[in-house]
Amino acid sequence: MIVKKERIADIIPHRPPFVMIDNLIEVSESRFESDFFIDEDNILVRSGSMEESGLIENIAQTCAAGFGYLDREKEGEPRIGFIGAVSKLELFELPLAHSTIHTIVTPTHQLGNIFLVKGENYCNGRKLLECEIKIVVT
Amino acid sequence: MNETLVTMELGDIIEETRDFLSEEFEVNRNLILPENSLKDTLDLDSLDYVDLVVLIEENLNIKVTGEDFKDIVTFGDFYKLVQKKLSL
Repeated sequence: MIVKKERIADIIPHRPPFVMIDNLIEVSESRFESDFFIDEDNILVRSGSMEESGLIENIAQTCAAGFGYLDREKEGEPRIGFIGAVSKLELFELPLAHSTIHTIVTPTHQLGNIFLVKGENYCNGRKLLECEIKIVVT
Repeated sequence: MNETLVTMELGDIIEETRDFLSEEFEVNRNLILPENSLKDTLDLDSLDYVDLVVLIEENLNIKVTGEDFKDIVTFGDFYKLVQKKLSL
């Protein structure tokens, strides 16, 4: 684990109650990994399960944390990123509250300040959702 | 490099490019002409250029960068870039 939950706010701009990532587990130029425990009072939990939008946000915040960590190593301060587009989304199942999800983000392409990443969330080894996200970094 | 592509003539690559661009960007294939603007014809915004990079990589097996796009205005310019990248 390279950034624990208690320090995650140092590398992402999100603040409670909209923090959808706990620990940053691994970061390299080609792969970011995180985990997240879903509290029952999470604002994106409905009827006992995290909504699809929560899974997408979790992928986006894993991406923010990964780039934020790399920025810290290179330049000092994390840059702000925005979701430009979400595509090729496939939902397999929604995770229940009180479960921990594991997320993998793979940056695949970069064109200037726009990054294309592939994101996947898992729970107990079962894939929950996958998609591609275009992130525009300021 | 893609074995098929190196044995193809530039004309074949142009035709293949017209096919995948017209399909992906839902544009009439007959509008994809060397003298026409790439950006205007395909109605590209900045995010679409990322899709274009992915398509070029998948279909032509060449990598293009933001720098490469600086000098590209028309499809003809784009074909010249492809020609250069494939050393045709």
